[in-house]
Amino acid sequence: MTSASMIVDRKTQRYDRQLRLWGDHGQAALESARVCLINGSATGTEILKNLVLPGIGSFTVIDSEKVSGADVGNNFFLDADSIGQSRARVVTELLQELNTDVSGNFVEEPLQSLLDNDVEFFRPFTLMIATQLSSKMLARVSEVCVKLGIPFLAVRSYGLIGYLRLQIGEHCVIESHPDSPMDDLRLDRPFPELLSYLQQIDFNTQDGFQHAHIPFLAILLKHLLEWKASHGGLPPKTSKDKDEFRAEIQRARRIKEDGSRAEEENHDEAITHATKAWHVSSIPSEISALFADSNVDNLTATSSPFWIMVRSLRDFVMAEGEGLLPLRGSIPDMAADSDRYIRLQHVYQERAKHDVAAFTAHVHRHLAELGLPLGTISDDDAKTFCRNAPFLRVIRARPISDELASATSKLTDTLNFHLEDPDSSVAFYVLLRAVDLFFEEHGRFPGAGDDQVEEDIAPLKQYVVGLLTDLGVSQHAIKEELIHEMCRFGAAELHNIASILGGLASQEAVKVITRQYIPFNNTFLFNGITSTSSTVEL
Amino acid sequence: MATTSSSNHGADRSAAVSRIVGDDVYARIKAAKVLMVGAGGIGCELLKNLVLSGFVNVVVVDLDTIEVSNLNRQFLFQRQHVGLPKAQVAADSARRFNPQANIVFHHANIKNKEFSQEWFGQFDLVLNALDNVSARNHVNRMCLAADVPLVESGTAGYLGQVTVIKKGATECFECTPKPPPKQHPVCTIRNTPSLPIHCIVWGKFLFNQLFGLADDENNISPNTADPEAAGDNADAGRQDVDGRDANAELSSADSATNNNVQSLRAWAIEHQYHADETVQKLFVNDVKTLLRMDKLWRERRPPVPLDTLLEQSTDGTNDDGPASSTRLKDQRVWGLKECTDVFRSSLSRLAQRLSEEQAKAAASGSSEAAILSWDKDDDLAMDFVTAAANLRMSVFSIPNMCRFDAKSMAGNIIPAIATTNAIVAGLIVLEAMKILRDQFSICRMTFLARKPNSRMKVLLPTELSKPNPNCHVCAAKPRVTVHVNTNTMTLGQFDEVVLKGRLGMIAPDMMEGNRILLSSEPGETDINNPKALSSLGIVHDTSVFVEDFHQSYELTIRVLHREAFEADAQFVVEGQGSVPPPAAQAPAAPAPTPSADRKRKAEDDSDAPAVVDDDDIVLMDDGSASDHQPAAAHVNKKHRLETPADDEDDIVFE
Ligand SMILES: [Zn+2]
Repeated sequence: MTSASMIVDRKTQRYDRQLRLWGDHGQAALESARVCLINGSATGTEILKNLVLPGIGSFTVIDSEKVSGADVGNNFFLDADSIGQSRARVVTELLQELNTDVSGNFVEEPLQSLLDNDVEFFRPFTLMIATQLSSKMLARVSEVCVKLGIPFLAVRSYGLIGYLRLQIGEHCVIESHPDSPMDDLRLDRPFPELLSYLQQIDFNTQDGFQHAHIPFLAILLKHLLEWKASHGGLPPKTSKDKDEFRAEIQRARRIKEDGSRAEEENHDEAITHATKAWHVSSIPSEISALFADSNVDNLTATSSPFWIMVRSLRDFVMAEGEGLLPLRGSIPDMAADSDRYIRLQHVYQERAKHDVAAFTAHVHRHLAELGLPLGTISDDDAKTFCRNAPFLRVIRARPISDELASATSKLTDTLNFHLEDPDSSVAFYVLLRAVDLFFEEHGRFPGAGDDQVEEDIAPLKQYVVGLLTDLGVSQHAIKEELIHEMCRFGAAELHNIASILGGLASQEAVKVITRQYIPFNNTFLFNGITSTSSTVEL
Repeated sequence: MATTSSSNHGADRSAAVSRIVGDDVYARIKAAKVLMVGAGGIGCELLKNLVLSGFVNVVVVDLDTIEVSNLNRQFLFQRQHVGLPKAQVAADSARRFNPQANIVFHHANIKNKEFSQEWFGQFDLVLNALDNVSARNHVNRMCLAADVPLVESGTAGYLGQVTVIKKGATECFECTPKPPPKQHPVCTIRNTPSLPIHCIVWGKFLFNQLFGLADDENNISPNTADPEAAGDNADAGRQDVDGRDANAELSSADSATNNNVQSLRAWAIEHQYHADETVQKLFVNDVKTLLRMDKLWRERRPPVPLDTLLEQSTDGTNDDGPASSTRLKDQRVWGLKECTDVFRSSLSRLAQRLSEEQAKAAASGSSEAAILSWDKDDDLAMDFVTAAANLRMSVFSIPNMCRFDAKSMAGNIIPAIATTNAIVAGLIVLEAMKILRDQFSICRMTFLARKPNSRMKVLLPTELSKPNPNCHVCAAKPRVTVHVNTNTMTLGQFDEVVLKGRLGMIAPDMMEGNRILLSSEPGETDINNPKALSSLGIVHDTSVFVEDFHQSYELTIRVLHREAFEADAQFVVEGQGSVPPPAAQAPAAPAPTPSADRKRKAEDDSDAPAVVDDDDIVLMDDGSASDHQPAAAHVNKKHRLETPADDEDDIVFE
């Protein structure tokens, strides 16, 4: 029973459940995204399905293949009638049906010829996704994406194995959605408004209700200031100090008529959260590292808003912030009466607004100096940036072409580290590269015909050994039985694995497009035999 | 071009599957008879994966019909299917993919008697893709009774979980007790709201009072029998967050003595749902009634009638919301005047709709009076509740909230997306394959995290736990201890609130010694229902034997008498925690539903995490998480299974 509302529109209804994850600005980013998919395989189709449903702007499928019997067997969107037809076209039409808000396009020209003749074709895309590409083609697409500055997600489903690889030049995340951010309360460095709030609280009230509803932050701050006054300005340090500090709060409970201490939830909370009293406000190491980034010192008119804001943030820290980031302004929930809670909330919010204003002034100064319009960074952007200042992240996932071109010592170390565990999913990284070497020489994958499984084992092993040598990894790192498994897989794509990879890959695609949450860096391997996975930076 | 496409495998659509899983397992897959319960977010993905993995005998049961808000992830459904049964449309879609597949659907509640133990027994495997604890509990019991392996699953936002339940070998769904649903005391809702949720619940109740099923459980008028205000004799009933569950939980219960239940509906009819008069009554006159109960306001800030507020108000809309988007107007907090306007217009339009429904019902000769049912995705109803709740928040000096957040809170909405469901459905099939291979020893509980943990794992498989010997469901002789006030709780209440409500039974028979006190046969023991337990011989330390024939479930309950309970709970089941006390007096304290809380916080700091995630993530990220979870983490994860659920429908957070 849905009827027209005065407030919400059709899209809001449809996307209600996801808006609660990434907000309207995340949704707007999705709706303006142009996604390119290379190969309308089962895996590729599953990925696009999961992006078309939440409403990306448009997609383009590049595929020169015709629909085969195997496609019909592993792709839900294809049926027997489509065998022999253009896979790009059929897949596009069926995906388009899922959501009419999304525009679907397809290209039947072979990838090879696009790469050879028309690299500019790729320029408009927000994100490139390739499925079922072997190493050689992967490296070529990778190079194009580096050149055009487009994020690139490579996905491969091989028997019961899955591989995801993200390549991204510089991905700046403002809204990283940390799991459990520390409250930013500044009890160790109380600002003037907080101190004057504290002075207004009557801790000696005879009114039991009043006393039991003093916000615990005020209780903590009062006791902290008293402690410091009697301890040479230092907060509780040792565990003995801390016990004593808690005991002081315990003694501050009101005494009832029968002489016992009142049960007061606010005092319980103060004791539970006593660590907030000696928490030292500071700048997270990740943010200090960002301040040292060369982008910060070398602002130019082409600097991104992100780096202009990081620079402004650093300026703020060195000036008004007195060594700290802008106050975030939120306070935890607590047992308190409405009045004093709201006033405390207000004290923090006002201070946060004050800090945002100071920060925004730095932003405006830089924009002016760079000759950029002030509207380049809106007040809302500045506000969001300040709220997220401790959680900013920059991810750089290196080019796949570099990784494949030569083994760095870092790559060797990483592989050696992971392959010490004989059950590590990372073994499949080596095996996937080995089957590609096999492919380059034989023009087919090992075990690709039913009668070839046994005979391909020995040659595949040769490639594995050779590759391990090239990579500088111990030759015994890969279990023999895994080589057998790879031959048995015969490069077949199973729907169920495609579905899992499709889910994982599209999830990362959404993170990249919305610039919210932190995408993986940079290789993800899934083992469908054991339902285990690993993420490694290669 | 060099692709790794498997086109060289010939035209046989099943070649790849049989080759990789092995011919013997593939034969088992084809022979297996599988029950899939739920055709929502996980269900759509799961049915697709089953059919493409070679399963051909699948029965789908789902109670729901398709809604617009399903379409962002339930890909078997499209706009033209809205209103149709999910089970039917899903089965049709899957059949189109493989016309040889034998896919049967039931648009029905899995708890129905037709789905008996024998019926469950025909399956080799049951796969849950459910969205609520109560149905999960029930399927758990049916699978234990029929000794059929069960794969259980759930998702919430980016998080997901899959596990396997096998009678005698693993823990069952109910081995780990779940905390009872959060409830709010009636008096708080009616007289002294201090949190936004109190006003949201009030708004939903008001909807039912005016347009829906009006009964005493959702009374919203001032309660002059509030023990705090008057004597100490009134038994304050309690309300669930969700009105519907509250009804189930209470039914015959008590309670608040001054019933003007009929009168509000009658009053509205008498005044023809006149908007201004309704505003005057609810937000001015009723508030003045509350103000006269002066004891209530000795230690509380007294409410301010709306007319006074409007006089004082400079109004203008709140400028704190994200104003940039024109589309999501619902993320802006309305001003007082705007709330009043929305309230008035949505009231009139709902009244109009009610009278149309009544006219339709009359024309079709229906004897039952037509009513409107509240639905969070019904935008007009949501407008009404948002406006009503915000006006009440203003009256009680509680900070207002935007419609988007009000909806999270009112609907207990858990975010849901396609990606997580796809991953979880794929993992379910992998576990199903292990079961068909009789490889229970390698079955795992797998947890999907939002980001890699410190050991770089996103998927966290853990070994399945052994059954809890004290489980009140799967133990050899299940026993449980219940504390109640045997002098005030009636048998009828015990039946509804304890046996059905908390202990999840469908149709219990209860005996004390040889005496049958409660029969599941209609009418047989109705005469006992209004009697207090003690008058039926159930006093302190009496053991009763309860049997639910449908669930093949027998339980011995030791009843202990207790006079009073914390936070006016009615009973306590030992080992399952007491009903949590109502939240204290923080005006902006957390919303009771994690998802709501998440959004609400997001207003303050846009990176706020979902509270539902917090505990779990912290534990998962604790580097020890891999094959050997610490016990604490394990318990916590187990608990997670209850909360996440695609899809969203009326999940009560537990
Ligand atoms: Zn159990």
